[in-house]
Amino acid sequence: MISFKKKNFLYKVYTWLPVLILYISVLNEFDFNYIDIEYFSFNFPFILVFFFALKEYSRFDFFLVFIAGLINDTVIGLPLGISSFSYILVCIFASYLRNITIRPHLIKDWFYFLFVISLINSINYTVLFFFFSFELDIMFYVINNFFTFLFYIPVTIFFDNYLKAIND
Amino acid sequence: MASSRDDFIIAIRSAFLKKETQQKFSLLTLIILSIVIIILSNLNLKIIKDTRAVINEIVYRSSFIVSIPENAIINSYYKITDYLNFYNKYKINKEELSNLKSQVVLNEIIISENKELKNLIEDFTFTSSKVLAKVIVDHNSPFLKTIIINKGSADGLKLGTNIYDKNYLVGRVIELNFKSSRVLLLSDLNSSVPISITPGNIQAIVIGDGKNSGEIKYIKDNLIENIEDQSIGYTSGTGDLFKSGIPVGRLNTGNDKYYLDFYSDFTQLKYVFAEIEKKEIDTDILALESSDENNLDQTTEKIQLKLLNDQIKILDETNKKFIEENQNLILKFKDLDLENDNLKNIIEEQISEINQNKIDQKELEFLRLNLLYSSKCSKSTFKKGYKVGTPEYKKCILRKGNF
Repeated sequence: MISFKKKNFLYKVYTWLPVLILYISVLNEFDFNYIDIEYFSFNFPFILVFFFALKEYSRFDFFLVFIAGLINDTVIGLPLGISSFSYILVCIFASYLRNITIRPHLIKDWFYFLFVISLINSINYTVLFFFFSFELDIMFYVINNFFTFLFYIPVTIFFDNYLKAIND
Repeated sequence: MASSRDDFIIAIRSAFLKKETQQKFSLLTLIILSIVIIILSNLNLKIIKDTRAVINEIVYRSSFIVSIPENAIINSYYKITDYLNFYNKYKINKEELSNLKSQVVLNEIIISENKELKNLIEDFTFTSSKVLAKVIVDHNSPFLKTIIINKGSADGLKLGTNIYDKNYLVGRVIELNFKSSRVLLLSDLNSSVPISITPGNIQAIVIGDGKNSGEIKYIKDNLIENIEDQSIGYTSGTGDLFKSGIPVGRLNTGNDKYYLDFYSDFTQLKYVFAEIEKKEIDTDILALESSDENNLDQTTEKIQLKLLNDQIKILDETNKKFIEENQNLILKFKDLDLENDNLKNIIEEQISEINQNKIDQKELEFLRLNLLYSSKCSKSTFKKGYKVGTPEYKKCILRKGNF
């Protein structure tokens, strides 16, 4: 396991890593679209936001999440505020789950995450389709939802180890 | 029951309102702020537009920088595959080049003819200049097929400006900033382009399918049968969204649906051209344009003059031939006339000779009969008759000989 001397510059960068990854992922739209698998895509920021909101990670400021949403809208070309709204909703649902959970369980969190992203993607689709007259393929949303759900477990395992490294 | 409802309310309230460690804003504040921003971004206020343009400029540049490592990896991958397919591509390109060379001459004629026809129908003639633009953000998103280019209103781009990859259409500008703009690709679900399909000159609309091709829609039912596989689709110019005559793609039929495979590969765009159009009446560049126009007219006139000169040459040559032929005929006619005269003379001579012969024959016959019957017709002392040499004597001789 990697160990850091606390108050070291590298340690500070390491503690800010989730926020950095979030910003890189929204600026770069990090979803492996270029590998050209038909319909394949997943929403990495959703996993990241849900996981760190659930873990109540101190460096993961909601305002920074909100700004990341605005950047995501600008990069993708969606109406400004849509992604911020989605990310903050993810934070709210994660906070609610944390408040009602005494003994966290990965599988329960996983299916709760599926419910949350399905609900938020539905809201997104409805708002974009009905209020902004965007032509969208619902299949993209369904498959994006599915892959985001699948990728939750490996990402969770990776960041659990990350958090353990910080606590050490 | 009541306590579980209380727990739920407490948990909700806590989730919304509780500011956790080091959090500057509560989630309720942020969600309200998001809704306000969504509403504000849809209002067409200048201040909001300007703010959004500034945010866009910053975010696009940041996105370009952040994407550099990923783009480097992707480009390396494409380069390796390009090297692997190099020889096969070379062979195909060589063959294609020889075909294209033969078509270039034909195209030049068609372009000149097209310009001439446009002048005839008094269409707006645009002088266009293409500006090279770099694609700074292209994430190939499955939701919205757009790219960001590094040219904006400062470079003369407008909303709706046509964007090209070489000479092929790739999309149009839908969001304009000062030094950058967003281009909606033809493959996007929100993109619709009026096209003409040739052969057949069938009018249709191609709508992006969200992947890398377009679906052809809105064709008249009776014209569907006329559509051939691998037909060419080019912009018809209907609706004034796109300029007419720009190649878009090649038709592909399958499963009772018609698709257009775009000529340009939208996943491989690095540089594109933005066409800045100006009408001829623009006063700033009127002189330049008029010279361009004059050049165009002169070119057309030159072609027409050349054609007329060729026609005159042909007519002159034909005329010369006719004149020569005519002179020959006149000479022949004269010769024939002379010959005719000679023949007439000969005939006349012959006729006179014949007549003389006839006279001579009559004289000879008379003389022969005279020898036989002179004793019976001549007058003597003892016999009644006619005096020799008189016409009565001649008649008597001829009567005796039954002539």
